[in-house]
Amino acid sequence: MSNHPILSVSKLVKTFGKKPAVNAVDFTIQEGEFIGLLGANGAGKTTIIKSVAGLIKPTSGSILYYDKNFESHLKESKKLIGVVPQNSNLDRDLTAYENLYLHTLLHNIPVKEREAKIATALEFAELSEYRNKQVKTFSGGMKRRLVIVRALIHDPKIIFLDEPTVGLDPQIRRNLWNLILKINQVKKTAILLTTHYIEEAEKLCSRVMVIDHGDIIMDNTPEKLKHGLGRFVLEIYNEDGITETYFDSQEAALIEQGNCQSESKIRNIALEDVIIQLTGRRVNA
Amino acid sequence: MLNGVQAVLYREINVFRKKAKKQILASSLSPLLFLIAFGWGFGDRVAVNGLPYILFLIPGLITMSSLNQSYSIAQEINISRFYFHVFDEFLIAPISHIEIVFGEVLYGLFKASISVFLIFGYAFLFGVDLRISGLFFLVILMHSFLFSLLAMTVSMLIKDHGSQAQVNTFVITPMIFLCGTFFPVDKLPAFFKVIVHCLPLTYSTQVIRASLTGGEINFAYIGIMLIFMCTFFLTALYAVKKVEA
Ligand SMILES: Nc1ncnc2c1ncn2[C@@H]1O[C@H](COP(=O)(O)OP(=O)(O)OP(=O)(O)O)[C@@H](O)[C@H]1O
Ligand SMILES: [Mg+2]
Repeated sequence: MSNHPILSVSKLVKTFGKKPAVNAVDFTIQEGEFIGLLGANGAGKTTIIKSVAGLIKPTSGSILYYDKNFESHLKESKKLIGVVPQNSNLDRDLTAYENLYLHTLLHNIPVKEREAKIATALEFAELSEYRNKQVKTFSGGMKRRLVIVRALIHDPKIIFLDEPTVGLDPQIRRNLWNLILKINQVKKTAILLTTHYIEEAEKLCSRVMVIDHGDIIMDNTPEKLKHGLGRFVLEIYNEDGITETYFDSQEAALIEQGNCQSESKIRNIALEDVIIQLTGRRVNA
Repeated sequence: MLNGVQAVLYREINVFRKKAKKQILASSLSPLLFLIAFGWGFGDRVAVNGLPYILFLIPGLITMSSLNQSYSIAQEINISRFYFHVFDEFLIAPISHIEIVFGEVLYGLFKASISVFLIFGYAFLFGVDLRISGLFFLVILMHSFLFSLLAMTVSMLIKDHGSQAQVNTFVITPMIFLCGTFFPVDKLPAFFKVIVHCLPLTYSTQVIRASLTGGEINFAYIGIMLIFMCTFFLTALYAVKKVEA
């Protein structure tokens, strides 16, 4: 991974009315990185993605693509990015082919390259045989694959995926994760993705940012994030529910377990524990 | 630079194509009803401004229909903004705001031109003789352009789909009835006369009718249409710049 930030965001603020949805966040994304943006409903994930994609105007702060100001270099910056929005924005009345063709026009792809790019995209999404079917006849998984490959047609340097796997069955979700991973590894496209499937993010992302009430409260590798809390979790089941205690070693957890009367279990820590700890504490505070 | 215009038009025309029959059928009905009700109803027994009523009416219908059609892009843009989010694709793409405006407006002109030819057809069926000249095409183009730009402005400024219906009810429909489409504006009380002279339709109706019936062309009116056009172009551009997904 080279040291070229594609995207640097600093002090980004977006308020709706008086309420800040995003509160002075800073982050950078390097070429080829695979980053997960995690956080509860309403934390501000979509607002960040919409801001860096030019869909909404930040209240303040700066967004740079390769050190150039986004607002003053809109066209050239937008060529670098691909967007898969939270709500599918495919044209339901158009066919898969027409949706992709529209995208080649929007991105001014040379006429003689268009057909080949569309064919490759359809193949990549395993949708070649549905090329001339209207999108409104597609299943959720087919639509999602189509939006993803559409975002790639112009060979962006970075793609933003806003909950790409939500509402899909486990099988299709896994297929999609493989597709996304392939994009990152084969095309070296940097990825910023939001999801509520923390386990999957933990497996795939090289870096995870946790956002809570508009603040990025953690930004690190999943490993480092997890181990800030400990390595093992002792779950004790009592009348009030489950209490969880974190330990750096299995021995320490076993000793504690020996002292406890109720039913209990020791397991490896997961990223989910960390996120619930971090964001839960803030909700209660 | 033109790829954005081409892209927007590609999208709109292809969506239109799939519903063309239904859309054209629907848009051909209301002028026909007006023609039957007023055209046959009053026929040539009534003369307005020295013209048989049906000859007065048909240019009015051309104005009304082309306005309805060019303005109807507002409705379509709304649906693509608020329901299907297709408009977001245009905002994300590396194309300029002007390209989006021109793409949509050209689509408005396309729809308006269909309605114009449709009513030419009706005129022929009803045996009404129109003088179709280059001047007519110029003014109908300006008229449709102007109202497409207005549609673009409104559809970008409103915050939800319901407000679109309100603009239609409180602005567009009254305008269609009062600005000389069905009767001459000089028959209106003074108060309304002032109001209708603030509205662009009064000018375009007058010029379009004059060009089709061999009346006297008021070139100052064409100038006023031009001013409205430029104003709405700026408001449309401003509104697209401001719009957020
Ligand atoms: N257009 C808007 N107008 C007003 N408030 C908004 C708007 N868009 C977002 N918000 C508010 O901003 C906050 C952040 O919303 P955002 O959609 O970014 O959250 P999110 O992290 O993507 O949530 P989810 O996981 O549910 O998608 C929320 O409180 C939301 O209500
Ligand atoms: Mg969201």
